Amino acid sequence: MEKKTNTLLILALIVGLAFHGSAIFFTLEYTYDALIHLFFADHYATSWFDPWEYRWYTGFTVQSYPPLVHQLIGILSYIGGLKFGMYTVALIAIVLFITGAYRYTLLMTGSRRIAGYGAVMAVFSSTFVETLHIFGQLPSISALSILLHSMTEIYLWIKTGKTRYFITSATMLAVTVTSHHVTPLFGMVFFIAPLMGMAVMDAAREKVNSYKALTFKVFWGTTLQHFWRIVKFGFTAIFLLVFCIFPYWYNSKRNPITQVAIPHGSRDNFLEITSSGLVFFIIPWGVFLFILPYFFYRYFSKRYVFFGLSFALLTILGTGGTTPIPRMMLGEMAFNILTLDRFTLWATIMALPIFAEFAYRMVEGDLKALIQQKFGGVYHRVLGGLIAGGMLFMVLFTMTLGYFRPSQPAKIKMLPIVNFLGADSHDAWRYLPLGFGDQMAWLSAQTRAMTVDGNYHSARRLPELTTRAIERIENSKFRGVEGIGSLQQFLTVPEKYNLKYIFSNDKFYDPILYYCGWQRLQQLENGIMVWEKLNVAPIPQIMPKQDVPTIMKIMWGIIPLSTVLIAIFVNIQMIWVRLLKSKKVPVHSFMKLELPYNKFPSKLLTFSHWWALLILICLGYGMYIFYVKNVTQLSPNNVVESYYDALDFKEFSRAHSYIDPNENIDIAQYMLEVSVTDGILSSYAKLDSLGIEIYDVTEKSAKAKVATRWITPLENVFNKDHHELVKRKNKWYIKSLKVDNDIPPDQLFTANSTTYYNHGRRKITTQETYHEDVLKQPVLEILSAKLVKYKGQYSIIGELQNVDNTPADIVIKATLYNDNNKELANYNAKHQIKHKLMPKETTTFKINFEGIAWSSTKDTLPPTFNPDEFTPVSFEEQPTKFNLQSAGNVANTDLYKHVALQDIDYSEQGFNGVLFNSGVQEVTIPQLIISYYDADGTLLWVDHKFVTEGVRIQRKQFFNYKPLALDSLEIITSGLENCFVNGSPNKAIADKIFPNRILKHGKQQAYPFKGKGYEYIKFEINSYIGNPK
Amino acid sequence: MRIKIIILLSLILLSCSDKKVEQTKQTLTPNTELVSKLNNSVAGDAITISFKTNAHTENYKLQVKNAYGNVLLEPEHKDSELIGFNIPKNFTRIAGPFRWRLLLNGKTLLNGTHTIATNAPKATYVESYFGPRSVTAGYNDFSMLTIAPTDAYDNPLDNGTEVTVKYQFLENISDLKITTENFIAWYNVAATLKSGRILVTSECNGTTSKELATIVYPSNAVNFSISSESAHNYADGNQIITFTSDIIKDEFGNIVTNGTLVTFVIKNEKDAYLYTIGTTLNGIAEAKTLHPDKASNWEIQAFITGAAESNTIVFNFKSAIKDYPVHFSKGNRNIDIGPFESFMKQLIPDGLLLQLDIYDTDGKFIESKITTTKDGVCNIYLGAYFLADGDYILKIKAAGITKEFTKNIHGSTVK
Repeated sequence: MEKKTNTLLILALIVGLAFHGSAIFFTLEYTYDALIHLFFADHYATSWFDPWEYRWYTGFTVQSYPPLVHQLIGILSYIGGLKFGMYTVALIAIVLFITGAYRYTLLMTGSRRIAGYGAVMAVFSSTFVETLHIFGQLPSISALSILLHSMTEIYLWIKTGKTRYFITSATMLAVTVTSHHVTPLFGMVFFIAPLMGMAVMDAAREKVNSYKALTFKVFWGTTLQHFWRIVKFGFTAIFLLVFCIFPYWYNSKRNPITQVAIPHGSRDNFLEITSSGLVFFIIPWGVFLFILPYFFYRYFSKRYVFFGLSFALLTILGTGGTTPIPRMMLGEMAFNILTLDRFTLWATIMALPIFAEFAYRMVEGDLKALIQQKFGGVYHRVLGGLIAGGMLFMVLFTMTLGYFRPSQPAKIKMLPIVNFLGADSHDAWRYLPLGFGDQMAWLSAQTRAMTVDGNYHSARRLPELTTRAIERIENSKFRGVEGIGSLQQFLTVPEKYNLKYIFSNDKFYDPILYYCGWQRLQQLENGIMVWEKLNVAPIPQIMPKQDVPTIMKIMWGIIPLSTVLIAIFVNIQMIWVRLLKSKKVPVHSFMKLELPYNKFPSKLLTFSHWWALLILICLGYGMYIFYVKNVTQLSPNNVVESYYDALDFKEFSRAHSYIDPNENIDIAQYMLEVSVTDGILSSYAKLDSLGIEIYDVTEKSAKAKVATRWITPLENVFNKDHHELVKRKNKWYIKSLKVDNDIPPDQLFTANSTTYYNHGRRKITTQETYHEDVLKQPVLEILSAKLVKYKGQYSIIGELQNVDNTPADIVIKATLYNDNNKELANYNAKHQIKHKLMPKETTTFKINFEGIAWSSTKDTLPPTFNPDEFTPVSFEEQPTKFNLQSAGNVANTDLYKHVALQDIDYSEQGFNGVLFNSGVQEVTIPQLIISYYDADGTLLWVDHKFVTEGVRIQRKQFFNYKPLALDSLEIITSGLENCFVNGSPNKAIADKIFPNRILKHGKQQAYPFKGKGYEYIKFEINSYIGNPK
Repeated sequence: MRIKIIILLSLILLSCSDKKVEQTKQTLTPNTELVSKLNNSVAGDAITISFKTNAHTENYKLQVKNAYGNVLLEPEHKDSELIGFNIPKNFTRIAGPFRWRLLLNGKTLLNGTHTIATNAPKATYVESYFGPRSVTAGYNDFSMLTIAPTDAYDNPLDNGTEVTVKYQFLENISDLKITTENFIAWYNVAATLKSGRILVTSECNGTTSKELATIVYPSNAVNFSISSESAHNYADGNQIITFTSDIIKDEFGNIVTNGTLVTFVIKNEKDAYLYTIGTTLNGIAEAKTLHPDKASNWEIQAFITGAAESNTIVFNFKSAIKDYPVHFSKGNRNIDIGPFESFMKQLIPDGLLLQLDIYDTDGKFIESKITTTKDGVCNIYLGAYFLADGDYILKIKAAGITKEFTKNIHGSTVK
């Protein structure tokens, strides 16, 4: 038989390369994983043998991920840069996948024609499109493709027992192992085990005349015959799995994953969380869903029965949390560590040959004949068109998903950031990107500077990260309470990790940065805002490192690429022969098992139709629900929901379209009214939950009580609003709310103030800053300090004054001790302090001792988001003493002090106050720091309140504050003995700078108000300005 | 075969063994004497130590040791009877003693000491530090000037070297001579009573240092006085009142630093404490706030916390609005309040705050509604969703005037 080139395979390769090869340039960099692999590749490109990587998580080992793909990209990066390497590897993976699918289909069906179909189907399989273009899992794809290639060899080894097949299969398996660890591990169970079963089955079949005659006895006998081949291969596979990436297992043993599991969409209930259902079920399965009965029918035939079991298992495991079965099968532990989407990936890949077979029978086989005979030729053509169209639709849909629903922030130009980090020793400190998405990995790959964050969550090391279910601090706002809580700990105590710079690509985080004492440094030309924190020491020269034995380093550096070289060397002759058809190769035994395909079971066809109908009904119902929920003005509930959604996303013209048109508010007026409101709610909040209660519904009107919960970086904000709704021309509208009519007294006015400018180092030199260029630290004085216990929680409260002549940035750290001078805890002042003080300004402060939240992983995590959730340190012993270390540094920004307390009045609803902004900057978020004093004017307690709306220039803002009851407050100790300022004792400073302090001033400025447990109260104002002018 | 391998292996092993034959020990000590008699020099000068010997051997070594370390030198010219060692530059440039030992095969033949003096005449460099960079005017603060004069090779000059310190403040330039002790000379430049900038420099052996400066900041403020200013004294809630201090000075008459924070604490007629903040510019602090919207008596006192306070001034606001009408309609659900007329019967500027407190007939507080006036009037609509039909006590508060109504609220018209 003259062998001809398989035209379908060639076609598949050409189309596949043209389609995927050009598309990756627009998708790969926006995927979840690709840039992480790029970062790892950069590591190998710069230090091939040293596995320790300092740039993420204060150091981690790259031996926590199989290295082959990373090393390949690293090697290729020497030719054309990292991205060149990545795209080249991606192109190779595409070719490998298509040819792999071809060989796998050939093995399964024994028909070169069907195998050609298999290759074409592989190109357009939505699961491959998703894995490559949305997830960017290059190692997983490469490993899977090689695994598919190796299957033929494994089959032939089991069947024939020829050593050359043993060698080829082992070499390929080694490549698989070094590219991805999970693929061969589970691949052994789900692919190779059924494959061996099939090989034995085929051998058994050869002994008898028909499948009917193939009894279990025959099969068992054949198994025993092949037993040693199976054992030999099995042990080789296990040996390869252990040996090739031995440092990986060594590292897993040494650094076991003890972190809190990160929630993953693939573990959701797909019926409840439909977005996860779409991404992890509908997209990978695609049109396969309609043909499921055929898959099961074919896979549960005698020859494929082992594949059938495996396929059924994979399908069930892939359903995630929809049914309790996967959880039961895997156990709680494995269920929470594994991402279950890979089971669906494998199931769909496993189904490929059968789908190819189906396509063949549909296009030119017996199914075509059956349908034409039963329903007519037109129906066949329409059905074929629908399936092909469905496939194409799924591919386009998946491909463009990232475009219409971007999972990543817009592409950030990294060069200005890289330059910033390189300049002026900025890389001597750690940095933290915020709102970068997975692009943070690309930034890390381009700089030597280090970050506390990272993007490979299995390697997280800092307790602040591992004890919480967050992958990155960078996107902490999407991770609820754990995310913001974790971020706040890094922001409050940045010196712990030498964290000095923050690159913010998301305005959301600005208020928390400000209130934690950070200041804006500059806006880079790519729009990224750089924030810095003063008083942070640079990273020490010598950093901790977890070293591994040299042999591990050598193994890790040499084995992976060697496996590739050996595999190529061993298989080169075969590739050559197969590619060019230069030599006649013997026809493999499985080629004889091609089925005649002459009778498609009619019952199956009927069943498949009913099944497809069922799927269509489910889909239709899903779409109907989606429509009803999303048509904006169909019901009172919808219009309120849409209105708040529009406000949340700042789509004001959309919000305006829901306003009752009879009110005649034109869009310009509406925009004006909306744009003048500023504050934490309108600028920095994310709508978290919306409770709508519709009542008094009539034909034409309804009323809505809307309870909203907004997540802000600072704290949760609960709001209650009432709306009236009207129906006009079959559409529901919302009635507009009243606006504040306040007009400012003056139109044009002047203001003078002192501004400051700091040159930094004055000489252009790369040397350490000269002595005379170092500014003197402003001197502070701690006026009072106390350790108190209130509601079971220990706090340090006190008062502090900038006694110098320059504005000061304040950092204050408190440490608690017990009677035996054992240190119990330390923490910095977070937001209950004014971090920037003008000369002679005072501030009260409170330091809470925050533990690393939920440090015991057994604690149940709170189910809802609550950014101001606070985890007090649990003290084993009673703190009795404290130490305060404060440091001042010259500040020259955020010194706006022109918000006045214009009026205050007490009623049974608490204090009703009025703030007035007399200056020239718009205050976005005013914060009240409220201090309580006893009859002698000594400080008892400090509290705070964020006013949710901003104070515009020359305007008022009302606030309400309910005073606390302090009768349960317990003062444990007070005194200034262990208080230090810039390293000097506080007393020395007080004696020198303020020898004649007038002590009664504190009391004279406080409001005499008799409350529960206190006699005086004082309101201080700290203003955050969102857009300084 | 095996035997061949063993033989081969043992041959290889043998060839690796040390074949060096031990030499006979030289027991004879040659006569050696020091030729160069000079045992002191000046930093930077070349030093050669030479010896006369009767033994022609190359094995002489000279060990040189100073405070920084050790070195073993080979003789320069070996063929003659005179052997000489050139001391390397990094030893000859460092002032202080160094010790040498002449060694032959590990035995010390001769030893001695050589002293190097600082080389002030060649060049003198002056390294100086001055800090802190700012001090407070008065009697007890100072900045310290520290001078470390060195020679061309960075050797600190000898104790007792004279250094001239010069410092300038305003028109005065003073200079004085101090001497170094333990390598440095230092001088405390006392803070002046006037604020300003003190420049210092120093000079040693004709070399001058760079200019260094410290800023004398004013001391803590002393009591001051304040005044207030406004366009009128009506409580219309829409006028700015400005509080200004006189020029705030310290006890020495210096104007306080720009940016010094002054808190103007306002006590109103209800004994509530309000405040506004000003920062000084050329000693004058200015703070603004808004007129109240009801008649008030304000007592204002300013503080620089801990340091100084002002006199107390009084500002009385007359009420701008004498009365306002309230009109109920639509089942008492619609409340029109106004027009509000100000002190000249003009409509008040937009934005006057009006609060409606709603109580049930038992006097239990239900809710309050806040609105602001526009074009002199304001309107509140109590929707049925908000308030069920029934009797209520409604308290309206605006411009310091409270009006109380008991009304039956009924009907549920959509507005």
